Amino acid sequence: MSPTLAHTPNFVGWRALILHRPHQNVDALMAQCARIGIAADQAWPTLEDAEAMRGYDVLLIDADMGHDEQFPWAPGLAPMPMIALIGSEAPGRIAWTIGQGADAQLLKPIGSAGLYSALVVASQGFLRRTAQTEEIALLKDQLAKRQVVAEATAILMLKHNCDAEAAYNRLRKTAMAERRSIEKAAAGIIASFDTHGRTNVTNGR
Amino acid sequence: MSVYPVGVLFSRSGGYSRPAEQGYFGALAAVADINADDAYPFTLEAHHADPKGNADRYAELCRDLIRTTGAQHIVGCTTSWSRKEVIPVVEKLDALLWYPCVYEGFEVSENLIYVAACANQHLVPLLDHIVPRFGARAFLTGSNYIWGWETNRIARDILTRSGGAVLGERYVPIGDEDIDHLIEEIREKHPDFILNNLIGTSSYAFLAAYRALGMEDPAFRPENCPVVSCNLCENETTRLGEDAAGHYTVSSYFRALASEENDRFAARMKASEPSRVADAFFVQAYAAVVMIAEAIRRTGSDAAQDVLEAVRAQETATPLGPVRVDRGTNHVNLCAHIGRARADGDFDIVHYCRETIAPDPFLTATPLDRLYATMAADARQLRVVR
Repeated sequence: MSPTLAHTPNFVGWRALILHRPHQNVDALMAQCARIGIAADQAWPTLEDAEAMRGYDVLLIDADMGHDEQFPWAPGLAPMPMIALIGSEAPGRIAWTIGQGADAQLLKPIGSAGLYSALVVASQGFLRRTAQTEEIALLKDQLAKRQVVAEATAILMLKHNCDAEAAYNRLRKTAMAERRSIEKAAAGIIASFDTHGRTNVTNGR
Repeated sequence: MSVYPVGVLFSRSGGYSRPAEQGYFGALAAVADINADDAYPFTLEAHHADPKGNADRYAELCRDLIRTTGAQHIVGCTTSWSRKEVIPVVEKLDALLWYPCVYEGFEVSENLIYVAACANQHLVPLLDHIVPRFGARAFLTGSNYIWGWETNRIARDILTRSGGAVLGERYVPIGDEDIDHLIEEIREKHPDFILNNLIGTSSYAFLAAYRALGMEDPAFRPENCPVVSCNLCENETTRLGEDAAGHYTVSSYFRALASEENDRFAARMKASEPSRVADAFFVQAYAAVVMIAEAIRRTGSDAAQDVLEAVRAQETATPLGPVRVDRGTNHVNLCAHIGRARADGDFDIVHYCRETIAPDPFLTATPLDRLYATMAADARQLRVVR
């Protein structure tokens, strides 16, 4: 029962682009946008300058007649939340909107309500997706650099004649002191290590 | 002479029958006044349907009223729950629902006229008045449905953004009078004030129990820790007497509002039925019927879209003051007066609102960081010193 949304969502100042042919449904959406402080434009099938689409805060796309060529980006890479306007509930059309990255839907005919909740859902979904994508990229990068960390730990074990745990602690403290990630600090240690002509320290690469 | 049917959809029994019945009486009083007034060359015919407090009955009865009596206008619904049930019916049949009760906002239907306050016209001015005087640490209560949930959520949002805190939040089912656990928690947490979004019998039981707590411990008397409400009106406070005395309500109408017009109106309503109190729930329903009648008089039609256009185009004089329906939101500008209940059920007006507040149902133009945190801290200190 307790509310999950701590702050009252506010879309004042947002710009919406409705990619739909002129229609009563578009008029109804324009009225709903005005009510919640959003400036809305309509275009079909796309903007004259497609790149200008990137300047909008939210896109409302037409599930019935929409196609990939409307957008200046590849499917799923829209840099803003999307809401699908669905007339025919054909699975293929719904799949297309999901592929584009639409996190919320409005069923046609559009009446006097629905846009606000769709906006809340779409913008939360978009934020979550963006954050997850960034986090996944970071984790992948860390995963790729595991070897660098292992190598730097080995170097520190040799250099200070200590066990792995103590060496890793040194590495961690170095990273903290230099205010950079463990992976970057490890790369620094490897780069500055003089191997005195021995090659076995890098044989594991 | 033409006769125009008007549907009246209020519950005269059930868990919130007191405010709901006020809507019923207000609508009927206005129909009687219109019919007695020669300025209106037609008569209104009221058709009442009684859902008896059962939310599932509203949609069906509303459909019946429109189909069998031909009414294009339904004045009715008290809870938001019942209103949400009726919206699809009036939208499908293109009739108008005139909703005469305060509600939480976040809604605009083309087939609804909102003749009462949304949150920026009740809760926000109420907190603006209470927090600087009593402090910003609140305890939130409510009946378990959308009105309490959403009003309390907005209050929490405002308080936490403004340096305040919510010490507890508890709900009870509509009609439930078992509220000892609530009182216990309040005793334990010592808030600065209690926001009461309970309705009907739960609210009355709570106020009685809270008064008993105040007798035991002066920290919980209204002058130290008041109960503040957005919908506790004269019809209820008159019967609650000492239980409600000293506590606060925000409203666009109080019987005690001093003006010649209001004195005349209140006296006339009292003369027609001495046991009845014209409070906000009564007056808002009354105003809705006056708006319908005025629009029919101007346009010569009771068709929903004609009437809607007429009330948007021109102001109508009502006991709430002159009102015009905002084209963008179908809501009206309203005052937010703050009253402190007396034992006789009337309110002392502690804040008189001079300028009406424009409706902002989606809270897009209302800053929610109210910046009264420092004032609140000062208020607490002053009270400790005193």
